[in-house]
Order: sequence, then C-alpha cells, then structure tokens
Amino acid sequence: MLHIYRRLWAVNWAEQWQYRANLLMYLLYWLVSPIIYLVVWTTVANSQGDVKGLTANDFVTYYLVLLVVDQLTSDITLHVLASKIQDGTLSGELLKPIHPILTNTLMNNLAFKALIFIVFLPVWLVLVLLFQPDFSAVTWQNILLALPTCAIGFGINFLLGATITSLAFWTTRVYSLHEFYYALAVLFSGQFVPLVLMPPVVQQIAQFLPFQLMIYFPVQLVLGLLPPDAILRNFALGLMWLTIAYGLFNLVWRRGVRRFSAVGA
Amino acid sequence: MRGNETGIRGQAGAEAILVEALSKTYQVPEREGGFGAAVRSFFRRRYKNVEAVQHVSFSVGRGEVVGFLGPNGAGKTTTLKMLSGLLHPTGGTARVLGHSPWERSTDFLSAITLVMGQRNRLSWDIPAADSFLLNQAIYRISDADFKATLNELDELLELSPIMRKPVRNLSLGERMKCELAAGLLHRPQVLFLDEPTIGLDITAQARIRSFLQEYNRRTGATIVLTSHYMADVTSLCQRIIIIHHGQLKYDGGLTDLSRRIAPFKLIGVALGEVRECDLSCYGDLVKTENLDGKQYIQVPAAQVTEITARILQDLPVHDLTIEDPPIEDIIERAFNE
Repeated sequence: MLHIYRRLWAVNWAEQWQYRANLLMYLLYWLVSPIIYLVVWTTVANSQGDVKGLTANDFVTYYLVLLVVDQLTSDITLHVLASKIQDGTLSGELLKPIHPILTNTLMNNLAFKALIFIVFLPVWLVLVLLFQPDFSAVTWQNILLALPTCAIGFGINFLLGATITSLAFWTTRVYSLHEFYYALAVLFSGQFVPLVLMPPVVQQIAQFLPFQLMIYFPVQLVLGLLPPDAILRNFALGLMWLTIAYGLFNLVWRRGVRRFSAVGA
Repeated sequence: MRGNETGIRGQAGAEAILVEALSKTYQVPEREGGFGAAVRSFFRRRYKNVEAVQHVSFSVGRGEVVGFLGPNGAGKTTTLKMLSGLLHPTGGTARVLGHSPWERSTDFLSAITLVMGQRNRLSWDIPAADSFLLNQAIYRISDADFKATLNELDELLELSPIMRKPVRNLSLGERMKCELAAGLLHRPQVLFLDEPTIGLDITAQARIRSFLQEYNRRTGATIVLTSHYMADVTSLCQRIIIIHHGQLKYDGGLTDLSRRIAPFKLIGVALGEVRECDLSCYGDLVKTENLDGKQYIQVPAAQVTEITARILQDLPVHDLTIEDPPIEDIIERAFNE
C-alpha cells in the first residue's frame, strides 16, 4: 500500500507542477482574508490599546500562526473531485482496485500542500518581517504537539469536504453547499475573529464543532495558551470527529457510487 | 433470434461472463422549453424513465472474442459499464469471472479492464510511462512481470518512442496505443473494449486489430468489444451479439447471421457497349457507392446461377461479379428486424 501512495505522490506532484499558475491563484485567494483580518484587528487593538484583553501582538501572533495552520489543514477535494463525478471521468478511477478518494485525491491534496508551501513560506517570512511578532511564548514542544493536531484537523476537513463533494452524485449544486460549509468554517474555526472574542453562546457551541479543530485549537496550542486538560479534551474530540467524518463519508460515498451514472464515460 | 451456438461457446462451465435478464433504467429529468416550464421544474421535477437495457441475457466463454453491436443508444456501453462494475443495474444478475461486477471487489477489478476509445484515462500532463508505473503499484505487479508485460506490449504496439512524451502531446493513434497498454499491464482476463478504434486511421485501426488478435491468442483473454467499424468485427469476432433499443436481437455467428438475415447475393454487371440497360427485370437494383462502373442487383441466393446465366446470355457483359452483401447492410437489417 505504501508503494501505491509513493507512486501516487510522484504522479500528483508532477501534475501539480503543471498547474503552478493555478496554484498561485489559490494561494492568493486563501491569503487575502486572513491577512485582512490580521490588519483590521491589529489596527483596532493599536488604537484602543487592546480588544477585550488581546493586544496587537496577540493578534499578530495569532494570525501569523493561523496562516500556517490554515495551509496545513485546508482541503481542495471539491475542486478536484466534483467535476469528475459530474462529467463521468471518475469512471477511470473507479475501475482501479483502490479507493479513489482515500488514495489518489488524498495524495493530490498533499502534493498541492507541499507545492504551495514553497511559495507560501517566503510570503510568510515577509509578513513576519513586516509585523515583527513576539513569538517568545511559542515552544518547540508545542509546535511538535501541534503537528498531529494539524493532521487530525486536515483529516476531518478532508473527509467532510469529500462527503460534501460526494453529494455531486445526486445534485449539481455541490459548489453552493460547499460555500455554506466554508462560511461556517470561517465563523466557527476562529478565522474571522479569535473565538475568545465571540459571544459566550457561540463559544459554547463552537467548542464542540469540528471547525475549531482545524484552526483555533492548533493555533492556541502553538501559542501556548492551552492547559493540558484542554489539549487532551481537544485531542479526544478530534479523534471523535475524525471517526464521525470517516463514517459519514463512507456512507455517502457508497450510496453515491451506486447512483453513479458514469455519463459519457 | 438465436444463431448456431455449437462450437463457439467454448467448453461447458468455462463461462467468463454470465448475464441474466440484465436491465438498466435511467431516470432522466425532463421539461418543456420556455420560462414557465423552467420555473415549474424548479419546484417539481418531472422524470422520464429511459430503459437503456432490458432483460438482456447471454454468456461468453473464456477466451472468446465477442462483438457487441447495435446503433448509437442501443445500450451497448451501458451494458459494458454494468459488466465492468461502474454501473448498478436496475434488474437482473451478472457474473464476470465468478464476481458480481458492481460489488467492485479488488479481485474483480484486478482481473478486468475497460478501455474506451473516446475517453482518456491516462493522466494528461505526464508521460504514459509514469502512469504505467502507477498501475504497476496499484495492481501490485512484480518488477519482473511488469518488465516482461511492458516489453511484450512494446513489441506489439511500438510504445518506446511515445511513452516518454506527455500524453497531451500524443496523436490520437499514439494515445490509443498507450491507453490499451495501460489497460493491459495487469494482464486482465476479461477485456471490455468500447470502440477501441474510433477516430483512428486505417493503418492504426489495422494495427490495433492485429494486436488484439495476438493478445487473445497469447493470453487466452476473453474480449467483448463494441465497434462501428465492421472490419473490427469481421476480423476479430467469431461471434456477435446485437442489441437494439436495449433488447437482445441476435446472438450467434457472423456467417450464420448473413445466411438468416440476408439470404441473397449481389450481382455486379459492367456492360460493354450498351450502357443504358434495364437490369431491374433480373433482380432489385441496388444503389452502390462503388465507383467501378458496375450496376448491382440483389437476387435470392438460390437463384444466383440461373440469373447469372440469363444475364450473360441476354446482355453484352464486359465484367460480372457475384458478391455477398456488405456486412453493414446485414447488421442494419438485423437492427431493424
């Protein structure tokens, strides 16, 4: 199986290189909103001294870490898979004795990430020079601990994205459904505003949703803002959501493939 | 309508494919043109049932090469898609190498292939050789087997000069060779080929045909193919299955079909001096696209000798030929029966 993943990696890596320009567009699209939030919140914090106890440096460190975590946990399944289901080109992959999503689409996602980091890192370093964050609270232990949480966050996002994309077996409107999912993610993941600034009710709800596991939890972890019991709780929650997302994806995928009409091909 | 089946079914119990009452009904959304209809269909969609395949039954023995014929929309591709596990049927059963195709087990998928002439399965952006390596991993082909099979395919299809170029830079014929190779690297026992020669020039068509012949001879693989080119059918298939409007119309040998459907011959006559001559009193005049200057009449097979003799006696014949009707005509008659 490892051999298959290695080959899939090689093929997807080579393919992604062919679409470098496309990749750049995605990156710009992804960077724009977090950078805007970063600028807006630091400006507000600077003018008022702080926002509910959060200083300008808190916002700068928060969003700079968020930018990295967001790249790690983001998912492009919709853009790769939906059209394949709709125009029938999925047939070619369905004929092969491997699960097309948990192998090929997964590796495609990872190859995309690897390539995007090559462009993203210099941009990030420029932002660091511009905003001069104070990262003294960040420890290596926390960064190491955050890596598996990012993997779990990505896993959840990938499987939920794949679930929504699999609805393309029924409807051609998966893109708007995914927009809705993305809007929820922006709100509840802590991208729009650090969750701690949200009304208490929203925070209560958000802590049980999967979205904060994709951004807020890893970011807070890196910044050293979480006590051990919160880390453990979120790890457990992450594994639970990963299982739920996997179950959901499997259910929708199996039923979808039964409905697949392989139009054209 | 059933043809003579002895001798073409292979050994009893050695069926590679067994199909019983296989049916597929598509639900297709339907609406009238115009704004009002568009609004209405937003709230309430109407569906029409399209019966693409209806109660089709047949079996194919191991090592057999069967031509699957029918006009566009007859249900050929739908049947192939069901047999290769891409589509779930609405009714009936099928076993391919003992597997129910739509359960899509790894063993099943590793033992079959579906190659479609009109669809590209190879990754567009990378050389075919890279896709071959990927297939080696996916199908768990050992290095030794991979090398041996690739060498064999290279020998038959002359892949070496083309497999290192990105697929997007290949010609249609070159791409088809690579598609076939990619579909055969794992040495499938059953090949479903949907129009494998479509769009190719005569030379490339002939090459693919002789390759398939040779592949069948060497590996004993079962081949089911659809094609609109009769040369594919006549040179490859001992047996044909005709479906039309989703129903099985004929299953049997090709020669048997012409005997049943078209028990007549074509007499071509070129006249020496008198060009204006009415041949219609000898048989039905047939329009032909041949540019050989002959007029053709169609006569019952049993009366060929008698009518030929009369023509030779009555008319200043320069040249005369007796031919079987073209296979296209026979098939077309079978479709419409």
